[in-house]
Amino acid sequence: MIRHLFKLIWNKKGAHSLLIIEIWASFMVLFGVLSLIIYNFTNYLQPIGFSYDRVWVVDLSNNQDTVGVAAKNQRIFDMISAYTEVESASRMSNNTPFSANQMNNNVTYNKISAVPDMYETDDNLYETLDLKLLAGRWYRKEDQVSKFRPVVLNKVLAEKFFQDENPLGKILSKEDKKPFKVVGIVDTFKAKGEFMSNAPAIFVQNESMSDWVQPILIRTRPGTDATFEARLVKDIAALAPGWGIEVSYMTESRQNRHKLTLIPVIIFLIISGFLLTNVALGLFGILNLNISRRRSEIGLRRAMGATGWNVTLQILGEMWTLSLFSILIGLLFAVQFPLLHVFDLAAGVYLWAMVAALLTIFVIVTLCAWYPGQQAARIHPATALHEE
Amino acid sequence: MIHLKNVEKVYRTSSIETLALSNINLHIQKKEFVSIMGPSGCGKSTLLNIMGLLDAPSQGTMELDGNPVNNFQDKALARLRNEKLGFIFQSFHLINDLSVLDNVEIPLLYRRSSARERRLLAQQALEKVGLSNRMSHFPRQLSGGQKQRVAIARAIVGRPEIILADEPTGNLDSAMGNEILSILQQLNSEGATIVMVTHDEAMAKRTHRLVRLFDGSQVL
Ligand SMILES: Nc1ncnc2c1ncn2[C@@H]1O[C@H](COP(=O)(O)OP(=O)(O)OP(=O)(O)O)[C@@H](O)[C@H]1O
Ligand SMILES: [Mg+2]
Repeated sequence: MIRHLFKLIWNKKGAHSLLIIEIWASFMVLFGVLSLIIYNFTNYLQPIGFSYDRVWVVDLSNNQDTVGVAAKNQRIFDMISAYTEVESASRMSNNTPFSANQMNNNVTYNKISAVPDMYETDDNLYETLDLKLLAGRWYRKEDQVSKFRPVVLNKVLAEKFFQDENPLGKILSKEDKKPFKVVGIVDTFKAKGEFMSNAPAIFVQNESMSDWVQPILIRTRPGTDATFEARLVKDIAALAPGWGIEVSYMTESRQNRHKLTLIPVIIFLIISGFLLTNVALGLFGILNLNISRRRSEIGLRRAMGATGWNVTLQILGEMWTLSLFSILIGLLFAVQFPLLHVFDLAAGVYLWAMVAALLTIFVIVTLCAWYPGQQAARIHPATALHEE
Repeated sequence: MIHLKNVEKVYRTSSIETLALSNINLHIQKKEFVSIMGPSGCGKSTLLNIMGLLDAPSQGTMELDGNPVNNFQDKALARLRNEKLGFIFQSFHLINDLSVLDNVEIPLLYRRSSARERRLLAQQALEKVGLSNRMSHFPRQLSGGQKQRVAIARAIVGRPEIILADEPTGNLDSAMGNEILSILQQLNSEGATIVMVTHDEAMAKRTHRLVRLFDGSQVL
C-alpha cells in the first residue's frame, strides 16, 4: 500500500508541486521558530548562576565634575557599605547583570584562545551576587601584591582551556598586559538572564575601582524598600553634588531583559501561526476539492473491496507521503545550519527543532486531511460510479 | 450463487420518490452467463449494484451462496466484494495516474498479498486479456477497447467467482465489443459466473439466459 501511495504521488508530482512547496515552506518556518524556542528553552534550563533578588544597581555619572573623583567614589562606596540596610556592596565594570553593556577580551592558554565575557570586579562581588564556587576561591586583597592578576573562570571557559586538567594556578596570557592566574572556578554566570546561553566568562580583580566612576551593586536586607532608596540617593547627592544617580532593581531589569528575548519569539510565533493557519486552510480546501474530483476513483476502490476506513486511510496516507516528500527536501536545507554553523547554536538544538517541526507538520496535515478523509469514506460507491 | 427474493428499490430524495426496482425474483446459477436488457432508466444498473453489494435493496433479500447479506457490515461487504466479485463498467474507471499494471493490482491491495505476488497475478491477468505488452503504459495511451481489457484484467485479478459487467461494450465499436464479449465468454467457460447488462440483442443472444426489465420489473 505504501508503494502504491508513493506511485500515486510520484505520478502526480506536477499537480502536487504547489502543495509540496507550501508544506516545505511551512516546515522551514517551523524549523526556524522551533530552533529559536528550543535554543531559548535549553538556555532557560541552565541555572543563571547568581542571585538577583534584593540586589540594586547604583549607576553614577560624574558629569562635568572632575575634582577629586577618586576620593568621592571611595567615600560613596564606604558610606553605602556602612548602612545597616546593606548586606553587601560591590563595584564592577559597566557590564552589570541584565544591563545592555557588554565587554569581552581575548585570552589565551597554550595556544587555545577564547573571547570570554570579561567582568572587572572588586573582591566583594562573589558575596554580593552569591556566586556558586565550584573550586578554589574568590580573589582577595592579598592577591594584589602578586605579579599575576587573579581571575575566576566559569566552568565552560575552564573546560575549554584545560579539559580535564586542574585549572587552579594556571597562568593565562592576555596580549601585553599583566598575565592572569586562575584562583577559582564558578559554575554558570548568565549575566544577561536565563535566556542567555552559558557563554565563557572571566572575572578579573580590579584593585583600583575608585579611579573611575563604576556601578555599585548592593544586596539589601530583606524588607528594604523605596524609603531607603530615597535616602540613599539623597546621601549620595550630598557627597557628590551634581552627579547623576540612578538606582535600578535587578528583578526589574531582569524582566526587561526577558521581554527583549521573548518579544521577538512571540512575534515570530504569531507570524508563523498565521502562515500555518493559511497553509492549513489551503490544504483543507485543496483536499476537499480533490475528493470531489476523485469520487469515481473512490467509488471504484470501494467496489474493488476497500472499506470506508481504507479510503480515509488512503487520503491520510497520500498527505503523509506528500509531507514526507516535502520534509525530506526541507531537511536537506535544515541540515546545512548545523553543518555550516550558520548561527552559533548547538547541533542538538537544530536536531530537536527538525524533529519537532516534522511532528507539527504531520499533526497539522493529519488534522486537515481527517475531515475530507471521512467525507471520502462516506461517498456512496454506486452513485459515484454512475456519475461522469 | 446469487439469489434475489422480492427485491424492491426505492430512491428517495427530498422531493421525489423513484421506484427503480419492484418485485424482482432472480436466481443466478453457478457458471451461468446471464444478460440483462431493458430501456434506459428501467433499473438495470440498480439491479447490478444490488447484486454487487454496492447498494442495499429497500425491500426483499439478496443472498450470496445461500447467505442473506442484508445485515452485513461495511467491512464484511467490502471483503465479499474483494474476494467474490469482479466489476466491469461502461466507462472503464481506470485511474489515470497509475500504469496499467498498477491499475490491475488495485483489488489485491485490499487483501493480504505481497508486492511480488500482486505483480505476478496482475501480469497473468493482463496476459489473459492479451495486453502483456502494455503493462507500463498509462490509461491515456490506450484505445477504448484496450482500456476495457485492462478493466477486465482488474476484475479477474483476484480470481472472483462472479463478474458483474454494466454495459461493458457500450462505449466501444462493434468489433471491439465482440472482442470483449469473446473474452467474457472465455472466462465463463473457465468457470466464472457472469451477469452483463447490455443494449445489444446480438450480444445478449450469445449468453445463456436473458433477463428483461421494464420500468423496474422483470418481464422475462
Ligand atoms: N442515486 C439515485 N438517486 C435517485 N434516483 C436514482 C439514483 N440512481 C438511479 N436512479 C433512478 O432509478 C432509475 C433506474 O436507474 P438505473 O441507473 O438503474 O437505470 P439503467 O437501467 O441502468 O439505465 P441506463 O440504461 O440509462 O444506464 C432511474 O429512473 C434513475 O433515475
Ligand atoms: Mg445503467
